[in-house]
Amino acid sequence: MSLALIELRRRPGRFAAMLAALGFLVVLLLLLGGLLDGLYRGSTGALRAQDADLLVLASQSRDSLLRSVVGPADRRRVAAVPGVRTVRGLGVALVGVTVPGRDEVADGAVLGYEGGVRGVPLPPRPGEAWVDRRLRADGVREGRRLLLGRGRVPVRVRGFVDDTSYLLQGGIWVRLGTWRRVLRQNRPDAALGPRTVQGLAVRVEPGVDPGRVAAAIRRAAGGRLEALTVAAAVDALPGVQAQNSTFRGIISVTLGIAGLVVGLFFALVTLERTVLYGVLKALGASSAQLAVGVATQAVAATLVAFLAGGLVSLGLVALTPADIPVELRADRAVVTFGGLVVAALVGSALSLRRVVRIEPASVIGGA
Amino acid sequence: MYLALREIRRSRGRFALGVGAVGLLVFLILFQQTLLTNLLGFFTGGLANQSGDVVVYAADARRTLAGSVVPAETVDAVAAVPGVARAGPLHEATFTVRPAGGRDLLDGVLFGYRLGGPGHPTTLREGRLPRRDGEGVASAVDADAGFGLGEVVTVEPAPGAEPVRIRIVGLGDDLRFSVQPTVFVSTATFAAARRATNPAAAGAPVLPSAVVVETAAAADPAVVARRVTARVAGVEALTRDEAVASAPGVAATRQSFGVILGLAFVVVGLVVGFFLVILTVQKAGALALLRAVGAPAGLLVRSLLTQAFVLAAAGAGIGVVLLTAAAARSSPAFPISVDGPAVAATCAVLVALALAASAVSVRRVLRIDPLQAALGPSVGGLA
Repeated sequence: MSLALIELRRRPGRFAAMLAALGFLVVLLLLLGGLLDGLYRGSTGALRAQDADLLVLASQSRDSLLRSVVGPADRRRVAAVPGVRTVRGLGVALVGVTVPGRDEVADGAVLGYEGGVRGVPLPPRPGEAWVDRRLRADGVREGRRLLLGRGRVPVRVRGFVDDTSYLLQGGIWVRLGTWRRVLRQNRPDAALGPRTVQGLAVRVEPGVDPGRVAAAIRRAAGGRLEALTVAAAVDALPGVQAQNSTFRGIISVTLGIAGLVVGLFFALVTLERTVLYGVLKALGASSAQLAVGVATQAVAATLVAFLAGGLVSLGLVALTPADIPVELRADRAVVTFGGLVVAALVGSALSLRRVVRIEPASVIGGA
Repeated sequence: MYLALREIRRSRGRFALGVGAVGLLVFLILFQQTLLTNLLGFFTGGLANQSGDVVVYAADARRTLAGSVVPAETVDAVAAVPGVARAGPLHEATFTVRPAGGRDLLDGVLFGYRLGGPGHPTTLREGRLPRRDGEGVASAVDADAGFGLGEVVTVEPAPGAEPVRIRIVGLGDDLRFSVQPTVFVSTATFAAARRATNPAAAGAPVLPSAVVVETAAAADPAVVARRVTARVAGVEALTRDEAVASAPGVAATRQSFGVILGLAFVVVGLVVGFFLVILTVQKAGALALLRAVGAPAGLLVRSLLTQAFVLAAAGAGIGVVLLTAAAARSSPAFPISVDGPAVAATCAVLVALALAASAVSVRRVLRIDPLQAALGPSVGGLA
């Protein structure tokens, strides 16, 4: 074991301040990342699950599924565009969901569909719904009857599906007819005609460029329709882009702060160890060996802080109320750890110049 | 004190770095605080600055205007509750609108209220309230974006439907809602916009999102709200302040910024603390010598605290200067303002935090043994 690790093991108290500060930052980073993932996945699941190349919306809606209206004539025009393989109608209504035996109303997104949704079976019979597992926290159980919105449209829960929420409201997947009934009975001014939908999920023929088909759809509809990729539709959801950029900015700044903490700590440690480093150099240790020792301690301390911070984060998430969308994910943890290691290495590198400049003779002579 | 200030003067570069780092952090904190205040105002301004003391939602709306629909007869039921002076419908929805001057389409919120009734904007700065259909009051912050006095904003219709035009006759402060440009119009104008965007529902009634209540002069809005909830079926009434605090995004934004600001405060403490510890370690020999020639520990501690104070105060000064510069350069669409009392309070907290963060260095100074002056490294610190 190297000198650096032996010191870390024999004198952990020396590193306690930095470990505490880094551990605190790890908790913050994991919770911020968890919040970002929870918000993103909870807002976008219903769109990400679309097994489609394009989502077609009314141009006037500015890429908002909620405000879009696509009539049967436009649907026929889209279906007739060369390169279009399948066209499936889609609609959404945000409602309060009354769960029998519960006082609190749950947030639900009633999604009318015609199939083509990954992880969601084909549309159930009228009056039935596949329900996102997120709503289990509100007391929803298989076989139970839910009442949708103020109009109290009843649906029976056929089963559960995963990761299909929309704007942080649990997805309730129903036939288009059931969805239209929910609209009509809850918002009469938002009711739509019998074959009208809000959006069209379009699959293109194999080998055909979706971009070309999108342009053809716009032309065919005389500019009344906008065709965008599912990824673009996800980005167009209210707040998604702003949310992502804000959180990523905060996470980057936090990583920078972690680097600053490590840098300040090792600047201090290097000052304290100047004489020791001088002695080691006098005994033949090279500057590179000492630098590797500093970097090793920085990485080892980061690992310890990450493990401790990770455990604390898991505990905090377990205590978090169900309505706060925090989701700790392994891929996020790996990226966070990688970022922390880089920040720690950069921070510890700030002391290397001083380590390299130590002159054994002058240090020992002054001791 | 003399010693502390002389050292700062002699080590200008070192202290400039420390003050610069603290200054940037203070700016970050002040900027984020201003951002938070602005964002919350943009989230809820339209609701916070309308005349209703009480907002009555549908019980299943989870306290959001967007999710709330109340039957038309609820307005009369609410009006009959003791303590209610006037009650009226309030409509709210997001539309695709084209600002004046042929600018690009954007999302805009319409608030519909009964002209002359409750729900009108209360922060009119220029112009007047709408007197007829087709007129509206916009947020002054959007005046240069095609929502200026006398300009006409158009609600983009569904294909084949007629557009709805709204002439801006008044501008008010802090009237945005959901961070979108917002226009207060009559209920008829709102209904026309609804029908223009969904002609399929042309014959259907356009129901209010909520009922707004102006309470009688002597009545407590909180009491009236509780009474409305108890006496009118299927509703939940909140005071205006409660409604604002419950609006979507407000709590999440507060929590998120709370975490960020808390982190920034901690980092200020860490940076000041580390900086002072490094300084103390560097001049350990000199401090030991001072102790050896009779300088009391209290003198050295006061000197250290003076330097911590100067570091934090100068950093705060830089932060305020940067914030003032940012305020001067901010866009009218997202103005950054300097709130004197709030800035002073934050700076005071930061200075106190810096003094507290110097505790580790104070401990080191108090533990200095004068004997080190004779046995330790050469005077002036580490070689």
